[in-house]
Order: sequence, then structure tokens, then C-alpha cells
Amino acid sequence: MSVVAFERKQNTGEWSERELSAILAALSAATALGTGREWETGVTEKGDVQFYLLSPLPDQACELCVSRIGGRYILEDGTGRLLFEHWNLELVALHAKAAVPSTSWLMVRAITLWCAVRSALHEKAEPWLAEGEELFVQFVPQLAAFA
Amino acid sequence: MRKVAGDWLKLRRADAELSQADLAARLGLKYYTFISQVENGFSRVPTEIMGAWANELGIEQSAFAKHLLMYYEPELHRLLFGAESK
Repeated sequence: MSVVAFERKQNTGEWSERELSAILAALSAATALGTGREWETGVTEKGDVQFYLLSPLPDQACELCVSRIGGRYILEDGTGRLLFEHWNLELVALHAKAAVPSTSWLMVRAITLWCAVRSALHEKAEPWLAEGEELFVQFVPQLAAFA
Repeated sequence: MRKVAGDWLKLRRADAELSQADLAARLGLKYYTFISQVENGFSRVPTEIMGAWANELGIEQSAFAKHLLMYYEPELHRLLFGAESK
């Protein structure tokens, strides 16, 4: 008689490679180079594993947290709001991907640059516009007289 | 500084003889994972539950908030209470 060895469910301890890969694959855009985001792992006092997605420096606060409790995966944000829970990690990872704050640092930088360029252009163009307006004010009465 | 705050919160919870699960239940949280998140130094105690958190640890609310402000916003704490005040 042979005994079938069932895979023991990992409830505490560490993330398995498969689990970490699933989370990191879903959050690949959020943790891409240039976003400034990092991630860390930790455990609860009962030894349940946690994955933290951290915002860029200097704050490095938790934006999302995935925890595994008794084979169930819990997705929370950095304020403790429960976003999703399921036994299927892939599903939880998908929800994590959707929950990542969408305004990336690249976007912020692009907007800042755009505002700076606009402001510089405005500063250069303003004297020209003012001069044009002055000329216009001077000539309007004369033009009106001819009309 | 959040890590130091987390360690302090962990000690105060131990003083109150509460587990993370006990505290979470008393704060109305479904899971104790957020307590761990805060105590591991990755998140702050949200202002809206700071009073309740203090009550459960048996600490006066204003003293609790003032102490956490020292870790979360040290400069603001210094401006409000001076360098010596803790």
C-alpha cells in the first residue's frame, strides 16, 4: 500500500517562491525602475507572512499589504482598509495590481516639467504680448478716426 | 521612526495583555494583519482610530497621540511641545 503525499499547505513561515513571483509579476509595473517603489516582507506575531508594497522615499509607507492567514490571502491598503480576500493568490494579486495608486512618479515628473515649460514660455511671451497690446491701444483711436 | 513607533506600540499592547487578534477585534477590524502592519513599522495608526487604539491599550488619548506624533511628525511635535517634552 502506498501513501499519497499531499502537499502541505504553507500557513506560516515564509512566502514560497511561487507566491512571491505571483505577487511581483502582478505588481511589476508598480515596482518598475523609476517608480521609486520598493517592497518588503514581514510576519504577524502568529507568524503569518505579509508582503508590503512601499511608496517611494523618503516616506516609504505601506501602500498595499498582502497577508496569508491559514491559506487565505488578504489584501489591505496602508490604512487597514480591507480591499479583497480569497484563497486564490493569482486573483488577489490581480486586485493588488488594480489597487496600486495610479499616479506614477513618472507622470508627476512629466506634469511638473510641462508646467515649468509653460511657465517659462509664458514669461518670455508676456513682454511681447504687453508690447502688442500697448501698440494696439495707441493705434485704435487713430484707426477709429479713419473709419 | 515608524519602526520605533511600531516597537513602542507592540510593548504597550503587551503591557495591556492583548494579542494582535484581540486588539484588532476590539478595534472592529476583521483581521489582525493591519495591527502587524503598523507594529512592523510600515504604516501609521490612522487618526480616526487613534483614540480607540489608545483606550484599548489603557493609555490616555492625548498622551498616546502626542507620543505617536513624536515618531510620525517629529518636527511638528517639536514645534508644538518643544524639544524636551515627550
